[in-house]
Amino acid sequence: MKLARRLCSLLLSLLVLSAAVFWIARLAPGDPLVSYYGQRAERMTPEQRAREEARLGLDAPIHVQYVRWLRNALHGDLGVSFKYKRDVVDVIRGRVSNTLLLGGVGFALIFSMALGLGLLCARFEGRPLDKILCKLGTLSSCIPEFWLSLLLILIFSVYLRVLPSSGAWSVDGGGAADRLRHLILPMTVVVTGHLWYYAYMIRNRLLEEVRADYVLLARSTGLGRRRVLLRHCLRNALPSYLSIMAISVPHIMGGTYVVETVFSYPGIGTLCYESARYQDYDLLMVLCLLSGAVVIVCNMLAQAINEHIDPRVRAAAAERAEADGHG
Amino acid sequence: MTADADRAEKLLDVGRLSVTFASPAGAVEAVRDVSLDLAPGEILAIVGESGCGKSALCRAIMKLLPASARVQADRLAVAGTDIRGLSERDMCALRGRLCSMVFQDPMTSLDPTMRIGAQIAEAVLAHEPGMKKDAVRRRVLELMDMVGIEDPPARYRLYPHDLSGGMRQRAVLAIALASRPRLLIADEPTTALDVTVQGQILDLLRDIQRGLGAGAVLVTHDLAVAARAADRTAVMYAGRIVEIGTTEEIFYDPRHPYTWGLLASLPSLAAEGRPLYAIPGMPPTLSPPPKGDAFACRNRYALAIDYDQAPPLFQVSPTHYAATWLLDPRAPAVARPVGGELHV
Amino acid sequence: MCETLLDVRGLCHSFPLGAGRYLRAVDGVSFRIRKGEIFGLVGESGSGKSTVARCVMNILRPQAGSILYRGVDVCDPAQFRANRRMLQTERQIIFQDSSSSLDQRMKVADIIAEPLAVNHIVPPRGSLRAEAAFQLRYVGMDPAYLDRYPPELSGGQRQRVAIARALTMEPSLLVADEPIAALDVSIQAQIINLFRHLQAEHGFTFLFIAHDLAVVRYLCDRVGVLYRGKLVEMAPTKELFDRPLHPYTKALLSAIPIPDPRRERARTRFHFDEAAFDRTGGFVQVSPEHFVLGGKEAEP
Repeated sequence: MKLARRLCSLLLSLLVLSAAVFWIARLAPGDPLVSYYGQRAERMTPEQRAREEARLGLDAPIHVQYVRWLRNALHGDLGVSFKYKRDVVDVIRGRVSNTLLLGGVGFALIFSMALGLGLLCARFEGRPLDKILCKLGTLSSCIPEFWLSLLLILIFSVYLRVLPSSGAWSVDGGGAADRLRHLILPMTVVVTGHLWYYAYMIRNRLLEEVRADYVLLARSTGLGRRRVLLRHCLRNALPSYLSIMAISVPHIMGGTYVVETVFSYPGIGTLCYESARYQDYDLLMVLCLLSGAVVIVCNMLAQAINEHIDPRVRAAAAERAEADGHG
Repeated sequence: MTADADRAEKLLDVGRLSVTFASPAGAVEAVRDVSLDLAPGEILAIVGESGCGKSALCRAIMKLLPASARVQADRLAVAGTDIRGLSERDMCALRGRLCSMVFQDPMTSLDPTMRIGAQIAEAVLAHEPGMKKDAVRRRVLELMDMVGIEDPPARYRLYPHDLSGGMRQRAVLAIALASRPRLLIADEPTTALDVTVQGQILDLLRDIQRGLGAGAVLVTHDLAVAARAADRTAVMYAGRIVEIGTTEEIFYDPRHPYTWGLLASLPSLAAEGRPLYAIPGMPPTLSPPPKGDAFACRNRYALAIDYDQAPPLFQVSPTHYAATWLLDPRAPAVARPVGGELHV
Repeated sequence: MCETLLDVRGLCHSFPLGAGRYLRAVDGVSFRIRKGEIFGLVGESGSGKSTVARCVMNILRPQAGSILYRGVDVCDPAQFRANRRMLQTERQIIFQDSSSSLDQRMKVADIIAEPLAVNHIVPPRGSLRAEAAFQLRYVGMDPAYLDRYPPELSGGQRQRVAIARALTMEPSLLVADEPIAALDVSIQAQIINLFRHLQAEHGFTFLFIAHDLAVVRYLCDRVGVLYRGKLVEMAPTKELFDRPLHPYTKALLSAIPIPDPRRERARTRFHFDEAAFDRTGGFVQVSPEHFVLGGKEAEP
C-alpha cells in the first residue's frame, strides 16, 4: 500500500518533470537542425528546412510533439540523438554505468568518510585533532578540481607511472582490477572536492546535539561522552544529514563533469552538456529523467530511513498519508 | 565528634567553590566562594534568579561544566569522595551511582528518537553492563512504577512526544534514579510544568528521596517550591549564597534584604490594592563582579560599607546564616519588613 | 454599567490533527471585556488561552463565533476592511518571549517607532525618535537605551520595550499573552506594577493571559478559567477565589503554590478527574457576575 503510493508519486513526478523539460528545452534559443546536419543546416533553403523539420517531427506545436514523445516513450522508444544519429539508449548505454560507478562509489565514500570525520571532530571538539582536521578540510576544499586532477596525473601517471592517466579501462581490456586502477585518480578528485563540505556539516549538526539537554541527562547517569555521541547524538543528527545527502546525489554525480573531461573518462557528464548545448532534445530528455529519477528515489529512501529513526517524522508522515486518504 | 567524622557523615560537602567562565567580554565569575553541605535524607533548596549561578553550581557538583569553565574549591566531596581531582573517566563511573540530575524541560532532556523504556534501560545498564535482558526490563518497569507512571508495560514502548509534560518528567526522574544515586540534583524540575502537575512532581520527589534515604538539591527560582519541599533553603544572588537556613527560618525570619525583597515581591503575599514591592534595578553583571556587596545598589538598607567590602556570612542561629552587614553589631537596627506571620 | 469594549461570542477554533480528527482548541468561548478593566484568562498549557488571544488579534481566523470590538465584527472581512485603521491601531499584543518577538537587529528606537512608520502616522511628539524616547520613559526606562539592540537588554527591559512598542499606537485594548512568565521574580513585580499603573492612571483595557493564578489574583478585575478549550467559570476575581464553583477551578486554585512552608504543607488539594469533565453543559449564571459551566454545580 505504502510502496504503491510511493511508486505512483514517483511516476507522477517523472511525468511532470518530463513535460517541464520538454517545454523548456524547446524554449531555449538554438537550432536543432545544426546538431543533426552540422554546417549543412546553415546552407539550407527555407523549403528544405521545413521539410527536414517535418521529417524530424519538429514542426508540430509543442504539446503535440510532447504527446507523440510520451506515446513513443511508453512503447520503449525514447527517440534518436540528433548529434550521434543513433538511438539515445545506445548512446548512453555504455556511459551510464561508468558515471554510476564513479559517482555512486564516490558518493558512498563521501557519505561514510564525512560521517566518520564529523564524528571524530565532534568527539574531540576544540582539541588539536579537530582543529587540524578543520584546517586540512578548508584547504582541500579550496583546491580547484582540474588543478588537483592535473597534479595527480603528473605525479602518479607521468613521474611514478603507477596509475593510468585517462579512460575507464585499458585498450586491451582488463577486468575488475583494471577498472579499479582507472578509477583511483578520478575518484580521489571527486571525493576531495566534496568531502569536507559534508564532514563539516555533520560535525556542526552533531555539536548542536551535544549541547542538548538529553546529553546532560545521559551523562549524569554515568554514560561516557563517546557512548552518548554514538548512541544519541548521531541518531538525532542523522535525519537532517540524510536529507541533505539525498538532495546532493545529482550534485555529486553531475559534478563529475570536470573530472570526466580531464581524465577523458567516458561518462555521461559530457553528454549532458552537449545535449543541452546542441538542442539534442531526445538525449536531453532521457538524461534529465534519469537524474530526476535518481534524486526522487534517493529522497524517498532518505525519508524512509528517517521515518525509521525518528518517530516524529513517522507521525508526521502518517498524518500526511491519512490526510491524503481523506482528501 | 571530630571534624573528620562530621565530614564523613555529610552527603555533600562544598567548601569555597568558585566557577569562572572564560568569555569574550572577560572572565565571568558565575559562582563565588560558595560553601554548603547536605545530610542524608535532607532536601536543600537553592533559590535565585536567572544568572545567579545556581545552575553552574549544580553542574560543578556533577562535573558536567563545559571545558571553558574553571572550578576552584577548598572542598568538593560527594558521600565522602573528593571529586576535585577526578578525571572524566573516573567521574563517569561515579555519576548515576553517587549523584544524578534532573533538568528543567522534560521535553528536551529526553532523546526524542528513543523509546522511554530503552532510555531508562540504558541508564540501568550504565553501571551494570552485564545485566540480563529480562532483569533489566524488570528493573525498568519497577522504576517506572516507582515514579508513578501508570501501566508501565504499555508505556514502555512509547516515545517522549507521546507523553504529557508531567509523565515525561517522571520518566526523567526514573532515568536519574536508575543507579540508586545517593544525591539527586534537580534543576528547576517543575518550572516547565502546569500548576496542578507541579505539586505532584514535588511530592513524588520528596517521597522517593525519603524512601531511598538520598539527599537532594532542589534548584528553583520559585520560593513556593522551596516552601513546599525543602528542609533547608539557600538564597543565591550574583554567584554567592546570601542567606541559608532551615526553610522555616528563611520564610518566617529572613535576615537578608534580598530575601525580604523576594518575599515582598510575590503577588500571593501582597496586600490587596497596594502596589507590589519590586526590587529596583536588575542583577549586576559578573564580569567582573561589583566591588563590595553585589546587592548594595538595589538595597534600600545598604550601608556605606556595603559598597566597599563584601559582607561575610553572619551566624543568626546554629543553622541560619546571612551575608549582610545589617547583622554586624555596629549596624543600625532595621525593622524587618516581611516575614513572621505572613498574610495571604 | 461600563461600556463593553470587546465582546467575544461563541468563539470556536480547532487545529487539524490529521486522520480527519481535530483538536478543539477553543470551543464556544464567550466573554465581554469592559472598558478600563483587566480581564484575566487563566488555564494550563493546551487550554486554548493563547488561541483566544490570537483570534482576538486577527492572527487566527476562528471557525465559528464572532468577536466584536467596539461593535465591529473583526472576523468579518468586509467590516474589518472598513475599520482596518481603527482595528490595527487600537488593539496591540504583547507576547511572552520578547527575545524572539523583537527583531534582534533593530535598535530600540526603531522597534518602538516602527508601528508609527509602518502606518504612516505623523508622530505626535515631533520626530519618531522623540516619540520612542517618550514611550520608553513612559514604561520606566531611560532614553539612553534608544540606541541599544535587544540582545544587549535584560529580559525585563526587553519586555518593557515590547510594551512601549505596543503603547506607541495609543491602543485602547492591550492583549498580553503570558507577558511575565519568562521573567524573574523581582522583575515580574516591576512589570506587574507597570500594568497596574497603565490601567489605573491611563485607563488601558487588558486581556491578560496567564497560567500563574497568584498574579491573576493580584492584577485582574475579572477572571475566566479555561479548560480544554471550554470556559468553565467566570467571575470577579475576589468572588472566584473566595467561592469557586466548578470542580476544575477548585482543583486549580488548590494547586496554587503558597510561599509559606507551614501552610503550603498543611493544606489539602482537590483533585480534578479529567474523565469526569462534562463539556456539554450550559454556561449558567449563578449570581449577576458569576457564571459556571454545567448548571448542577450552581448553588442556590
